[in-house]
Amino acid sequence: MDFHRRADWAVTDPAYALTLHGITKQFGSTVALDGADFDVRAGTLHALLGENGAGKTTLMRLAFGMLRADAGTIEVDGTPRRWRSSADAIAAGIGMVHQHFLLIPAMTVAENVSLGDRGILRGFNPRAAADRVRRIGTETGLVLDPAACVADLAVGAQQRLEIVKALARDARILILDEPTAVLSPAESQELYAWLRAFVARGHTVVIITHKVREALAIADDLTVLRRGRTVLTGSSRNLDEIAVIGAMIGASVTADAPATANVSAPGAAVMSLEHVSVIDERGVQRLRDVSMEVRAGEIVGIAGVEGSGQHELLRVLAGRLTADRGHVKTPAHIGFVPADRLRDALVPAMTLTENLALKDSGSARGIVNWDSYEARAAATIRGHDVRTSGPEALAGALSGGNQQKFVLGRELEGSPEALVVENPTRGLDIRAAAHVLAELRSARVAGVAVAVYSSDLDEVLSIADRMIVCFDGNATATAVDAGAVARALVGLG
Amino acid sequence: MSGGAFTAFLESGVRFATPLAYAALGELVVERAGVINIGLEGAIICGAFGALIAAGTGSVWLGFAGAALAGVLLAAIFAFFVVTLKTDQIITGTAMSMLGLGLTGTLYRTMYGTAGASLHIATIAPAPVPGLSAIPVIGRAFFDQPVVTYALYAIVPALAWWFYRTTGGLALRAVGEHPEAARGAGISPSRVQWAALLFGGAMGGISGGTLVLAQVGTFAEGMSAGRGFIAIAIVVLGRWTPFGVAGAALLFGAASALQTLAQTMGWGMPYQLPLAFPYLLTLVLLASTRGRTASPAALGQRPA
Repeated sequence: MDFHRRADWAVTDPAYALTLHGITKQFGSTVALDGADFDVRAGTLHALLGENGAGKTTLMRLAFGMLRADAGTIEVDGTPRRWRSSADAIAAGIGMVHQHFLLIPAMTVAENVSLGDRGILRGFNPRAAADRVRRIGTETGLVLDPAACVADLAVGAQQRLEIVKALARDARILILDEPTAVLSPAESQELYAWLRAFVARGHTVVIITHKVREALAIADDLTVLRRGRTVLTGSSRNLDEIAVIGAMIGASVTADAPATANVSAPGAAVMSLEHVSVIDERGVQRLRDVSMEVRAGEIVGIAGVEGSGQHELLRVLAGRLTADRGHVKTPAHIGFVPADRLRDALVPAMTLTENLALKDSGSARGIVNWDSYEARAAATIRGHDVRTSGPEALAGALSGGNQQKFVLGRELEGSPEALVVENPTRGLDIRAAAHVLAELRSARVAGVAVAVYSSDLDEVLSIADRMIVCFDGNATATAVDAGAVARALVGLG
Repeated sequence: MSGGAFTAFLESGVRFATPLAYAALGELVVERAGVINIGLEGAIICGAFGALIAAGTGSVWLGFAGAALAGVLLAAIFAFFVVTLKTDQIITGTAMSMLGLGLTGTLYRTMYGTAGASLHIATIAPAPVPGLSAIPVIGRAFFDQPVVTYALYAIVPALAWWFYRTTGGLALRAVGEHPEAARGAGISPSRVQWAALLFGGAMGGISGGTLVLAQVGTFAEGMSAGRGFIAIAIVVLGRWTPFGVAGAALLFGAASALQTLAQTMGWGMPYQLPLAFPYLLTLVLLASTRGRTASPAALGQRPA
């Protein structure tokens, strides 16, 4: 099924407030955007959807002039534009509210609003700045205390301040990155009502989100990015949740045959969670009363749209995160492969031997026997087909696929009872990805209890014996079937 | 201590404080932009040498211009490495200190011989302010000084006004607190940091120029004598505000004066004691929550 249903909209039509065509952007060897297109009709609310790493934020930072594209064109109101910095984009009437607010905590509301005013010696009058904040408050209903210090503001007020900052620069096109991620449901409703009113006055809004239902409910149009490309765009009236989710995760949802016929003979439960809840440091509940188990000799696939609780679920299973409530049983020897290899699994500037030794560094005492670690690193390299010059190679010098094979080999070393794996093939080529999946299958045959999360649904369906789907902090068991999983991903039984 | 001795003590305190205040006010602007320039010592000694060369023309004012220029040149090297090439601030700053000290020493010996022939250059004399200098006790201390000291009386409030009452000052503080937020608002953090560093270099240079042109009257190798590092402590003690820094400079200046006084009066205490006092105060402040929270949040971070 082809999700690329882009309408043939005229390119220089002034009815488009923002037009991005053929946008390509690479960070080092990682391709973030690969010829993405994005057309926003003037006077509409447009939702930009996609999984973690799909390129949504990168695309919008390019539109806002904070990054420069390697290729592609930007048009505002039908006029081709080229940004030297975000100052140019701001001057053209674009405002952006970043997911991690760009506010200065040590300054007041009025100072933050005045931040973009030009001129080295131009006077900054706190009273005039405060008046401006109050005036915008009366005009738009976004009321703030100008003298309040940003560090003392609640999250909702900080977001209001970000919008006020953009409005103070006369923004006509407002881009919001995951605006409801930090808001309560009531605050989200309030924000959406305000955005609809803003659009009703003829302005244009883009929201980046991964909440499909919210996007369909409030947006006029919708665009889905996947792996840096536009895979779906159209009016939200003509789209449903299943189609959008399918485009986001790249699964052929319409295929009704189960993707796999995995037969397993599972043993006893190795990892088990009973009524587990997790609340993060901001007080947001990430897991709600989750009960599940992973038995020896089976692969449990875990799916979930970004922010649904799977991140926390994996870490509770792996013993990396303590549950706030409930009972958790995990084995003593457990392997964990986190999604971000270079941040959470390896020290790039250390050798493979040293990276292997790090595994024991929390418990080891006394003098390190490097010969033994070198032999173990060499065995891991041989046993898991890691292509490298040897144990003394720096981890950062390996390709992504070989790094992942080494991490997986390290975590499987010494026959762990359980293995928890997060997005194991992210950024890998097809050969390396196939190798990693084959390793997981053979671990299962060897009797390891395996839990695998992948943002690519087809991939996780291809190896899972059972499926657990996370939605809004709940974990539900579903059939190993794309349609069933897709419905559960958006909270439909 | 008699009233006369106390006035003399204050007068020498202000004299010691003047070069410290110049260097520290420059460093204050630099740190508010999120950069810590521990190469300030190098800017001061380069300023002193620049003053020596330029004052050879016979003009004290050209001497100060030469001092500022020398400081700016060294700061430009530092800014190129730290802001443009994004090198480590501490390592680069250390290199700048050593470069400044080594370069001026070598040039001095090459140009004037190893003996370091005592040079006579134009200097600036104290210019008592009519009326004000007659105020009892503090009059002579604050108003019978060279013009460079009086300039500080204008620079400190001007800086405070610029920090808090102009959009340029707002941009500077934003870059030091949260460069990404500044960039999001359309400010170029690297341009702000370049400008701050060049200003800091000029002020560091003038600090060295003051030593040569208003106090010692000649150049000596290593005559900056750690003032660059003292200035960095002064910025901390002054809690990153212009008036705070001015007060802290005065305190460090008074400590130097007290040490001299203790030696000349033959007081039976170790002369190092008053010198150590402001450092202890700085440490206590750094250890307290109040002291730490005053620091610019992005201080010392490598620019993105």
